[in-house]
Amino acid sequence: MDAKLNQNRLRLSADVGGTFTDVAAFDEPTGRLMLGKTLTTHQRLVTGIETGVEKAGASFPQAQLFLHGTTVAINTILERTGAPCALLTTQGFRDIYEIGRVNRPEAYNLFFQKHKPLIDRDMRFDIRERCDAQGRVLIPLDEQQVLDTVAEAVKQGIKAVAILFLHSYRNPAHEKRAKEIVEQAFPDLFVTASHELSQEYREYERTSTTAANAYVGPRVRRYLGEMDEHLADTGFTGTFLVVQSTGGLFDIEEAQQSCIRMLESGPAAGVIGSKVLCDQIGLKNAIAFDMGGTTAKAGVIYQGDVLMTGGQIVGGYASGLPLQIPMIDIQEVGTGGGSIARIEAGALRVGPESAGSSPGPVCYGLGGTEPTVTDCNLALGRLAPDRFLGGEMKLNLKGAENAIETKIGKALDLGTLEAADGILRVAVTKMAHMVRWVTTERGLDAADFAMVAYGGAGPLHAAMIARELRIGKLIIPFAPGHFSAYGMLFADLRRDLVNTWFKPFADISFDEMETLYQALEKAGTEDLARGRHMTVDTVSLRGADMRYVGQEHAVTVDIPMELFERQDRDGIKKLFDAVHETRYGYHNADEKAEIVSLRSATVGLMKKPEREPLDHGGVSAEAAFRGKRKVYYSGVGMVDTPTYDRTKLAAGNRINGPALIEEHASTTVVFPQDKVEVDAFGNLHIEIGRA
Amino acid sequence: MDAITRKGQTRTAVDPVVTEIVRNGLIAATEEMKTNLMRTAYNMIIYEALDFTVGLFDAEGNTISIGLGLPMFIRGMSETVKAKIAHFKGDLDPGDILLTNDAYITGSHLNHMTFTVPIFHDGELLGFSCCMAHWPDVGGTLSGSTTDIYSEGLQMPIVKIYRKGVVSDELVSIIKTNVRLADRAMGDFRAQVAAVKTGEKRFLEMLRKYGRDDVLGAIDAIMGQSERLARERVAAMPDGIYEAESFMDDDGVSVGVRVPIRVKVEIKGDRMSVDLSEVSKQVGGFYNSGATAGMSCCQVAFKCLTSPLDMPINEGQFRALDIILPPGSVVSAVKPAAMRMWMTYPMTVVDTIFKAVAPAMPDQVAAGHHADLVVGRVNGRKASDNSFYIYLGGLIGGGWGAKHNSDGMNATIAMNDGDTHNGPSEQVEAKYPLLVERYCLRPDSGGAGQFRGGLGTEQVMQAINQINFSSQMDRVVCKPWGVFGGLSGFGNSVAIHRGGADKETHFPNGKAINQVLKPGDAYILRSGGGGGYGTPLERDVASVERDVRCGYVTRDQAERDYGVAFAKDGSIDVEATAERRADMKKQGLPIDEPIAPTPIFPAQMILEQPQRNEIPEKLTEEERVVFAMNCRCCS
Repeated sequence: MDAKLNQNRLRLSADVGGTFTDVAAFDEPTGRLMLGKTLTTHQRLVTGIETGVEKAGASFPQAQLFLHGTTVAINTILERTGAPCALLTTQGFRDIYEIGRVNRPEAYNLFFQKHKPLIDRDMRFDIRERCDAQGRVLIPLDEQQVLDTVAEAVKQGIKAVAILFLHSYRNPAHEKRAKEIVEQAFPDLFVTASHELSQEYREYERTSTTAANAYVGPRVRRYLGEMDEHLADTGFTGTFLVVQSTGGLFDIEEAQQSCIRMLESGPAAGVIGSKVLCDQIGLKNAIAFDMGGTTAKAGVIYQGDVLMTGGQIVGGYASGLPLQIPMIDIQEVGTGGGSIARIEAGALRVGPESAGSSPGPVCYGLGGTEPTVTDCNLALGRLAPDRFLGGEMKLNLKGAENAIETKIGKALDLGTLEAADGILRVAVTKMAHMVRWVTTERGLDAADFAMVAYGGAGPLHAAMIARELRIGKLIIPFAPGHFSAYGMLFADLRRDLVNTWFKPFADISFDEMETLYQALEKAGTEDLARGRHMTVDTVSLRGADMRYVGQEHAVTVDIPMELFERQDRDGIKKLFDAVHETRYGYHNADEKAEIVSLRSATVGLMKKPEREPLDHGGVSAEAAFRGKRKVYYSGVGMVDTPTYDRTKLAAGNRINGPALIEEHASTTVVFPQDKVEVDAFGNLHIEIGRA
Repeated sequence: MDAITRKGQTRTAVDPVVTEIVRNGLIAATEEMKTNLMRTAYNMIIYEALDFTVGLFDAEGNTISIGLGLPMFIRGMSETVKAKIAHFKGDLDPGDILLTNDAYITGSHLNHMTFTVPIFHDGELLGFSCCMAHWPDVGGTLSGSTTDIYSEGLQMPIVKIYRKGVVSDELVSIIKTNVRLADRAMGDFRAQVAAVKTGEKRFLEMLRKYGRDDVLGAIDAIMGQSERLARERVAAMPDGIYEAESFMDDDGVSVGVRVPIRVKVEIKGDRMSVDLSEVSKQVGGFYNSGATAGMSCCQVAFKCLTSPLDMPINEGQFRALDIILPPGSVVSAVKPAAMRMWMTYPMTVVDTIFKAVAPAMPDQVAAGHHADLVVGRVNGRKASDNSFYIYLGGLIGGGWGAKHNSDGMNATIAMNDGDTHNGPSEQVEAKYPLLVERYCLRPDSGGAGQFRGGLGTEQVMQAINQINFSSQMDRVVCKPWGVFGGLSGFGNSVAIHRGGADKETHFPNGKAINQVLKPGDAYILRSGGGGGYGTPLERDVASVERDVRCGYVTRDQAERDYGVAFAKDGSIDVEATAERRADMKKQGLPIDEPIAPTPIFPAQMILEQPQRNEIPEKLTEEERVVFAMNCRCCS
């Protein structure tokens, strides 16, 4: 084969999670998809990626693109293993990072702990400077003080500097100058200024974002640098891109500066994969449901778009640290395959404690003693002891049954099967409440959505959750256990920019607004310039955060370009009224609105890989049939259930429940009364039967 | 109707799985009521200040599950539902919706409109769904203070606002006639009706899915679990009678006259009783609250002591708690006491209960906290277009008391509020002609102790244009107390700094009403610190070193209160410290002064005469709504 052809034919992706490293490799000329799954190697993450690539039957020299999702940034924050940093801030606001928003979510807990800043107070410094809300300079920057302050902090051993000045979203000049001064004097420091990450008002959230970036910066920069060098050693000559929490990609030069933007890359990629799937099969509204070992997560695709949020709190709502950057809105609940069931004050509780991957569920035989959700699936016959991970890992059924019986069954006076079923039902209602929450919170009804379920444990429980929420249509994508890595293959280059611009809507000048948007778009396009050779087109999306005058909370309104072209003030107001109506249940056409922030996303569209379709195989799934086994269903009991090998299913195959559809990294449970059809790309469409 | 009682129907043994599903379902149902209310209310106080409560109650009005806005609302609705049950004596039908805002029933102020739907299943009354929310305006006077309930607005006795699904046009008409912002009030009205209907719907869904007996059985079981846990925790507390006393600065009318708060707690076996008979009689100013608020104080304290995190709020967990609360006290006020600022005193009552039981359960309590929301109210006109605005400032957070194993929290909102946020300075400056000169921690404000009280905060706000400014705080002189030898923290305070002057103008009782600030003048809000825990001479030297290094404690305070000796290079001299501490111990140092003004600047205090607040003659509806919002629970 022509060496040139052999090269540059693969698009490779690797999602490094807490337990598993998933690799997907897409062969562009043939449309073939190859997958590899292996345990994450925490000592040296590259090793796991290499093993995964090997398992997928791929290699780096063949690849023109390497797409990477990593938990290195979020783990650095959660484990508090980042660099010592200094924070420079406006005079009078040294404590803003510590004061925060003063809220006390654990209202009855006298021992409540609010967020713990990543930078101690002795490394937080006031700098003489001040701008007002219009960006006018009230006090010029004291440049000497910047220099002296950092020189002193360097003696204390800091490795990174975060800079936040008030109203820098309006006028970043002081932040820029301060950064320049520090970089010139101390070229080895990692320096980050708030306006580079967020140009939105809210000084505490922006401080926290900037401090977090400084904190993870040195480590992430090193990690990506080493990865890049290693890729070069393997003979990789393509482009290395990292997935952001928006689901978009950025190159490593950007990623080494704005490290915090890659925080939730894995979960975001899963939602992007769901969105691509929805586009493919013509679905407008879907819930992307991902269930793994420790948590279940849900994102929403509404009217064809992935729903985004302006920020999140890392480490839990009560005591976590806020990040103010655009990202996919993903809700999470502490229920996963490893969630432990226990008796507390005579009541049955499931999660959020998890057995994780070590010791893991009892059935893994790695020392776990507490019954988990996975043990229950095994006891009920939904997992087979000899077919887990394609048979690579034998499961201990007796151990699982024993733990369920002794720890739960006896205490509640239930048989082992009833206890296992009860644990699953409790776990399912918890997840169902979370899924309902992502929709009701926005004024939507889960029952109007389809659900795309993935993650190793998603297909096992999805039908139960769908039934709970009266969701009628369930889709189990091709390769649900590798779905985040798969989703990355379809990501685009993307730069999101937000600029706070308080303006009464009636007074806005379209010309002024146009100038501001164009500045954002120019910045976005410049950021993507290095990736131009990979993109087929660049599109700009516009939006605005708007609210009625007097409100604090704003809603984000996506605004089509033609409304700007027509300078259609009423049209934009109507759009805002409609979004407000959906979200808050009312609107008022006569009420005055105001703009809070302008949002811009510049997307460098990449050529999408085209999967080869499955062979068409007619209605019968006989070819995939691999025998029957007994499976327990609530209210029905043990039922002899046919099992199928998913890799042997062909397009057009239909299966009526009950059935189990097994594959390497997952098992889909099809309940009695549910109906499955396999589509041309190997996705399972399940129609949930109404009891 | 006889269905009001559950009758003696036998129930099957309770399914533990259904119990857990129902438990999660009840929490989710009240969370959904909460979301729906916040989503649909046309009222910032509801979705931003969280001034509401939603809940499900059993056929007797006992709390099954509530979704809280503010923590002090723990009791409010159950009493209201019970009052409604007593009022109608069984005369309830499907489709009825009951309403009241009787301040002496809700225990708070007239803004708290409370809607209740009886839930019928197969013709049997099985419970209630209820929603209280703060309306921005219920009529009453806009200006100045009130001295009785009649001047505070529309009083709606217990009524059926809907009869069998049909709304009472007469009653709606009475409401619309008596409130300033009828359209908006009706918006909140509809939102509350939607919220109680959501609760009803989810409760009925559960009944249909799992059956009446299983659901009611599960609710009993859940309450039983909560009760057992609470009893276990009370049983672990040493028996005895515990008493404590504290003081409020004054009631805003009789300046400087202390208002005593005396509580008595008795623990006997697995029961706790809290006796509030010795709390001050109701006062002339508008700081009174009703008996429901008094009960809330006891329940909040009980919840904090027995199950701060691990049990949802329901009646079961309070079965081990007895409350003694004769009518006529400042937290059990009777008609016609004025109630507008009902939320200030209860915070100190709760703290006083912790103070009482501290000797019995030193590991479960905290020293006193700043116990005030520290609010500043501003109104003025913008220079650009002369438009009128109101800014509800403050909520700057203050210090919390230290505990047996840790320092108190810095800069955290007071007990009345939970998930309430301050306003970002960048937004304040963008919206109003105000400049935040600084918003920072107050060094030394945390009471010294082996564990230090949390630090209070200071916010200095400069007026760009002329403004009117008011702030009414308490616990200025009666400072947050320390326990077990810990010292008291700084009190709350309010001051004005006139442009060009070198001294601040102070308001020694914390009540600065209708002050006019000229451009360049600034008002200063200072929140108190938390009290310390244990003697400061026992604080480990490394912690003092860190406190001084980080500037939480000045060198002066470290020497004076912590007995620390510094070497020439600024580090702590461990040996000299030990000597100094032994010496101080002998002399009975440091000395605590829990009731004393906090010196801020050793300067003369200038007392200013209150100036008349001018209500703008012509208000747009928008201005009217913000003006009316001057009175809200969380501020």
